[in-house]
Amino acid sequence: MNPATLIPAADPLTVPSGWFQFLLMLTFPLHLLAMNALLGTALTALAAHLLPGQPYRRLSHELAKALPFLVAFTVNLGVAPLLFLNVLYGNLFYTSTILMGLFWLAVIPLVIIAYYLLYLYDFRFRQLGNGAMFVLLAVLALLLLVGFVFSNNMTMMIAPAGWNRWFTTPGGTLLNLADPTLLPRYLHMMTGALAVGGLCAALYAKIALKDDPETAAAGIRLGMGLFSWLSLLQVVLGVWFLTRLQPAVLRLFMGGSGSATALLTIGLLMALAALMAGFRHQVGLAAGLTLPLLYVMAFMRDTVRTGALAPYFSLDKVPVTSQVQWSPLVLFLVTLVLGLAVIAWMLGKVATCTARGEGQTEEESDN
Amino acid sequence: MNYPVWFVPTFGGGLLIALVAIVHVFVSHFAVGGGLYLVLTERKALTEKSAAIMAFVRTHTRFFMLLTMVFGGLTGVAIWFVISLINPAATSLLIHTFVFGWATEWVFFLVEIVALFIYFYTFGRMDDRNHQIIGWIYFGAAWLSLFLINGIIDFMLTPGDWISNHGFWSGFFNPTFWPALFFRSFISFMLAGCYGFLTATFIEDEALRHRMIRYSGIWALVSLILSLPAGWWYLAVLPAPAARLVHGASPTIARAGTVGAFSLALLAGLLITLILLSPKARTRVLTALVMITAMGYLGAFEWTREAARRPFVINGVMYSNGLPVSAVSRIDQEGFLQNARWVQNKEVTAANRLEAGRELFLHQCFACHTIGGFNNDIIARTRNMSFTGLRSYLATIHGKRYFMPPFAGTDAELQALAAYIAGGLNHKPLTDTGGAVGDHGKELFDTNCAACHGADVLKPILSGWPQKKIRTALDRLPSLNPAMPDYTGPPADKDALAGYLFSLNHPQPQPATGAAPAAPSTAGKGAGLFADNCTACHGLDQIKPALKGWPRAKIRAALDKLSALNPAMPDYGGSAAEKDAVADYLTQQTGGAQ
Repeated sequence: MNPATLIPAADPLTVPSGWFQFLLMLTFPLHLLAMNALLGTALTALAAHLLPGQPYRRLSHELAKALPFLVAFTVNLGVAPLLFLNVLYGNLFYTSTILMGLFWLAVIPLVIIAYYLLYLYDFRFRQLGNGAMFVLLAVLALLLLVGFVFSNNMTMMIAPAGWNRWFTTPGGTLLNLADPTLLPRYLHMMTGALAVGGLCAALYAKIALKDDPETAAAGIRLGMGLFSWLSLLQVVLGVWFLTRLQPAVLRLFMGGSGSATALLTIGLLMALAALMAGFRHQVGLAAGLTLPLLYVMAFMRDTVRTGALAPYFSLDKVPVTSQVQWSPLVLFLVTLVLGLAVIAWMLGKVATCTARGEGQTEEESDN
Repeated sequence: MNYPVWFVPTFGGGLLIALVAIVHVFVSHFAVGGGLYLVLTERKALTEKSAAIMAFVRTHTRFFMLLTMVFGGLTGVAIWFVISLINPAATSLLIHTFVFGWATEWVFFLVEIVALFIYFYTFGRMDDRNHQIIGWIYFGAAWLSLFLINGIIDFMLTPGDWISNHGFWSGFFNPTFWPALFFRSFISFMLAGCYGFLTATFIEDEALRHRMIRYSGIWALVSLILSLPAGWWYLAVLPAPAARLVHGASPTIARAGTVGAFSLALLAGLLITLILLSPKARTRVLTALVMITAMGYLGAFEWTREAARRPFVINGVMYSNGLPVSAVSRIDQEGFLQNARWVQNKEVTAANRLEAGRELFLHQCFACHTIGGFNNDIIARTRNMSFTGLRSYLATIHGKRYFMPPFAGTDAELQALAAYIAGGLNHKPLTDTGGAVGDHGKELFDTNCAACHGADVLKPILSGWPQKKIRTALDRLPSLNPAMPDYTGPPADKDALAGYLFSLNHPQPQPATGAAPAAPSTAGKGAGLFADNCTACHGLDQIKPALKGWPRAKIRAALDKLSALNPAMPDYGGSAAEKDAVADYLTQQTGGAQ
């Protein structure tokens, strides 16, 4: 059976696809950033429990307070790119979602449990003692599992050749395990996430804990250590991932496509620079390099998707409605600007009240 | 047709959507109304300079944050996941139409999250004015997110002018937008009061506990009362087919209506009790009941809204099984299997008939019917139907039962589906009787009636019904039960059907002509009179126990003054001879002494 015959027809877009691509590529790295911060902060907090000394105790306590925020923002910042992905690739994405329906739905309870466990970790920090490590281990296991489900869906939606397995297994229990890119891609993403998260923890320690130099130093040391070594591992895994790509897709990065090759080159150079900054514990520089690097990697990921789909599907062929509807787009953009302004105003108020009310911030975490 | 199907035979997607949706709306409406409750209760604490009330607000905020942000937020994502799994075609249509509505809603979610975090974590640290402003920002963003999703949800029930112009705003500000917005807003305030109850019961100080319970109760009760006209307005603007379903033509909506009305009465009653009686009694049990009945009220509304748009998932645009309305006539010509992507049998042959039928079932029926499962089990629903009956039923399914989509496909495909259901699932012979052999009345029954009720269900109901009454009833089935469609067969068919139904309780069938017996006895005449004058309120079975042991004379005397037996019963205005005949009939049936 020709896999292309299985691909559902795409519904027409209300504005040209470029807008959705722009919004997808704008918001997706923000989700990655929050997700990375969540995973890496949980790992840093866990590592801090294993190290001796009061500064590491205080560090894990401080990180505990940040973790629930990170879940909230990971989920929220995931909604926007998932929405734009639905519009652009819904016909592919819904199909792979149905093929793995049971696992896909499991994401929800897994995240809810991880979320509540992190609140438990935050609000019951003192009572938990060393038991906190097991809470964090459980959270990391749950979140890494969620990442595995996502990797399966994102690789299965661009691999229609394996879709006909549905005819014999229609119960939503398929995964994409036979895909040679799945494992390197998943490990590459998760190692990178833990690394960048370590950097986020270091940055948090440097900025938010500067009044407690010992704890801040512990956080920077631990976070940057995780960032550097895991990034090194991630580069190795990245090369493995690259070699496992379909030959046609790999060729794009090896000179076949100017933009893809440039992305790979820039990505590698920036990764090396970030590594050097990491090993030198230059938090600001490493962070300054990593945020744009996330964007570069997101674009490389997009290139893999476009390349893998090229034989079957192209966004250029998705129809646009005869009457383009601009006003809803304007509504969204205006709301976004206003919303960000309101958020900035609120954060400004927090900054002034934090300055005013210093020294009385601890009580909540012990409730 | 366009997409594969998540196929777990005994587990229906519709039920999953309903479960996730009802749980989610119960928390997400609280996330809206609870915001207003928080800021107003904080203001109350400030006005009264009450540190105790402020402490309660803070505890309540923590509960609010843990419930709405984690559980509410994630179950919202869950609905999205579930609908794209169960009905990808409709989800795609909604997403493509309203993507920027959703994107705008996402901005409000972001503002909500930031505002709620700040509100909770700066209690006692931020100055009162700014803290209250943050609270108002939270409520504003939460209500605006309701404003946005409300337009998209109601679009599915009443797409309005969007059908002709495909415009975002026409679909968004659709006919039910405003009533639903008012209704949902009041419901959200009601839930805020209900949840306030819940946390207030944990207040240690007795006097404060009673005050806050009373305060929350007033919130809930006033909002509940205000929701009633909004709900009535909502029902009033429903388009005619949906209104018919809501007013009795749909058994599932009738059930939801009962649950809703009962919950409403119980909820209102409980709330009033809680407020007016001293809340010194153990209130936690009552509070739990308030939560359950509130969920019943809201759940009934959501269920009704979902069920009222059947047979569509988007009213007039797409059927519940994902089939676009506009595609049906083309598919009838070209064939469903030819047009479907996720099928292996592209045309029906003698060899693949059952397998092709299974694929048709998967893509056209499984959206609502499980196979041997809890929800709408197709095997149970078709147990009484023969292959011939099923074929005839499928051909006119949408006409017979409006809330079922029409079968889309060629005649050969329809036969394959019927063969799969009758033969593959119910293991019945796939012989084509065509009505030429056997009891014609039974054939008609299998075709027209057995989809909803088998002969075994009707037999006790029809016990004691004379054939004439059955025949008359066949002319006005909806008056027996609003959910039952009219039977539109010719009079000869109705006669045959009546004959068959009568034979269920009378194994020696009378001639299926509908004519009265050639030489009616007095008791026979009495049976007809009883049917015409009495059975609207009570069948023979119901009065038999009461008349047990009554001699004929007593029955005859009672017929002269029925209102004396029961004030609700009108006197019988028949002639003396007619009363005699009824008395004869009843004496004969109840075994009383002559």
